[in-house]
Amino acid sequence: MEIKNIKSSDIPAFFDQLIKSGKVVMAPVLKKSGKVFFEAVQSYSQVATDYIQTGFSAKSVVFPKVEVLFSYTKTEEGIELKDSIADIPETIVWGLRPCDGSAFSYMTEFFLRENPDTYYAARKEKTTLIAVSCPKADDACFCTSVDLNPGSTSGSDILLTFMGEDTYVEVMTEKGKAAVDISVSLFTVSEEKDKEEYLAKIDVKFSMDEIKEKIKNAYDSAEWKNVSMGCFGCGACAFSCPTCTCFDIQDEGTQNKGQRLRCWDSCGFGLFTKHSSGHNPKTNQTERRRQRLMHKFKYSVENLGIVSCVGCGRCIRVCPAHLNIFENILSVTAP
Amino acid sequence: MENQTDIEVTLTPPSGAGGLNQYIPYKMRIANIIEEAPLVQTYRLEFIDEKDADQFTFRAGQFAEYGVFGEGESTFCIASSPTREGYLECTFRSSGRVTKALANCELNDIIGLRGPFGNTFPIEEWYGKNIVFVTGGIALPPLRCVIWNLLDQRDKFGEISIYYGARSVNDLVYKEELEEWKNRGDVKLFVTVDPGGETPDWKGLIGFVPTILEQNPPKSENAVAIVAGPPILIKMGMPILSRNGFDNANIYTTLENRMKCGVGKCGHCTVGKTYVCKDGPVFTYEEVLKMPAEY
Repeated sequence: MEIKNIKSSDIPAFFDQLIKSGKVVMAPVLKKSGKVFFEAVQSYSQVATDYIQTGFSAKSVVFPKVEVLFSYTKTEEGIELKDSIADIPETIVWGLRPCDGSAFSYMTEFFLRENPDTYYAARKEKTTLIAVSCPKADDACFCTSVDLNPGSTSGSDILLTFMGEDTYVEVMTEKGKAAVDISVSLFTVSEEKDKEEYLAKIDVKFSMDEIKEKIKNAYDSAEWKNVSMGCFGCGACAFSCPTCTCFDIQDEGTQNKGQRLRCWDSCGFGLFTKHSSGHNPKTNQTERRRQRLMHKFKYSVENLGIVSCVGCGRCIRVCPAHLNIFENILSVTAP
Repeated sequence: MENQTDIEVTLTPPSGAGGLNQYIPYKMRIANIIEEAPLVQTYRLEFIDEKDADQFTFRAGQFAEYGVFGEGESTFCIASSPTREGYLECTFRSSGRVTKALANCELNDIIGLRGPFGNTFPIEEWYGKNIVFVTGGIALPPLRCVIWNLLDQRDKFGEISIYYGARSVNDLVYKEELEEWKNRGDVKLFVTVDPGGETPDWKGLIGFVPTILEQNPPKSENAVAIVAGPPILIKMGMPILSRNGFDNANIYTTLENRMKCGVGKCGHCTVGKTYVCKDGPVFTYEEVLKMPAEY
């Protein structure tokens, strides 16, 4: 890791150099709805700076909502298949929060450790993540309960922390170094600083170590029924989640020409597990909500050694039934 | 989560045409079509590209994704034995969008195939043992792969018994092969149909498979059992064998859940923390008992 400093007034110049590098630069943009979403931008003037969290995470850069796996064309000789991996653009994501950065390190473990996923690998390889520490938080934020904090560097290539006139730059990876090197004159070497006073204060809702222990016996908890009572199965939690990776594969086209797509899916949908016979191993919303929470806090710990919830709070903010993941976890692990 | 561990990327054997992209299917030609039962067909598939045929190997128990371009993919076990080289067979019931489209395919049409996926039956560990198959409906196809695999090296195994049932006489699949197994003299075959599913000239048994299994209990000494079926048959059949003295580690099943990717990513097939596609589909009763009943 290298530690550097850049004058906060030089951030727009740094940003515009990134744009000039020719890569796609995704950054938070304030929309008319008052919400902030990642978009490809052309200048720092478009970039939102006053936001707690983006509506969607930046996961679509490496795992798009809809992705073409290949296109097919029927010819006289047979069928021609063509993937579009070579067309994946080099992309810089600017302004993701540290929780989302660590979501990338989870996704990389998930997609690449076993049976490495060709498309994820290609996209991740071409992605540089420039995260920005959180100066403020809201009631939905709970990163400090899942062993992260508003200044975590996990998963990010660079982490920027605004400290008034100066911005503290933690360069974590070679990709991060390459991004800084584009504007080398703007950066000076810095000593290690304590970021604490510039970071949001976020209450710890639970001890992750205790939850990991208690959730081992939570499968049969009677509380699952209560915590899932309002669930519509709308999937908003999964679509807004930075670590939800479930997908569907669907064809679009005719028998002569078309494409095979990979699309986001959600374990909250009733059809997700339904057999064509009509049999459904996860019969109701209670079982589906349990699957979602157990996966985040138990199954991914057992399979990969990682809690796959980063405490970003999006599922809490978007849920039309006001389901709250950390309250739910506390309920089902209560003695 | 704070400490990002180093990613060790282990490249798995190519499971798609064109190398490591798991999502690109092999192109297969439909070389034969057999009507097995109402809405049930067996397709024999041959590789279009000889290179694909050369590099493709599989073992009993594995499955594949069969795709109709423009309609999607569907999951079935490979129903032919790896001892029969040069082709693959699959047997499926037309019930959803993809299987209906598949059923509408004609001889020589090209379909896609991805695989083989999943783990396998440990056939070498069964040498010298008595083998009991318990299955129903169109769950015979995944076991037909194992049955022929054993019959093609018959002297390596002890007694082979097959308990198979279907809703009606008409719904029995592989009718000619059932006849062949009955007549070869080295297979104990119990074929049954559900009460009410018999025809006037039906000479086989009548009753649900679990009932027939209880009335004609197989010997558990030096034996392994393989149960495949609709979930209800798995849930009922395995305890019967267990009560009859079979060690839970010697009762095998092949689970099926909805699947999309086949490689442990899409999330559809999970049973608790277990992915049926990559950790299974073959499990022992001992393993199944440790899982939630999400199958």
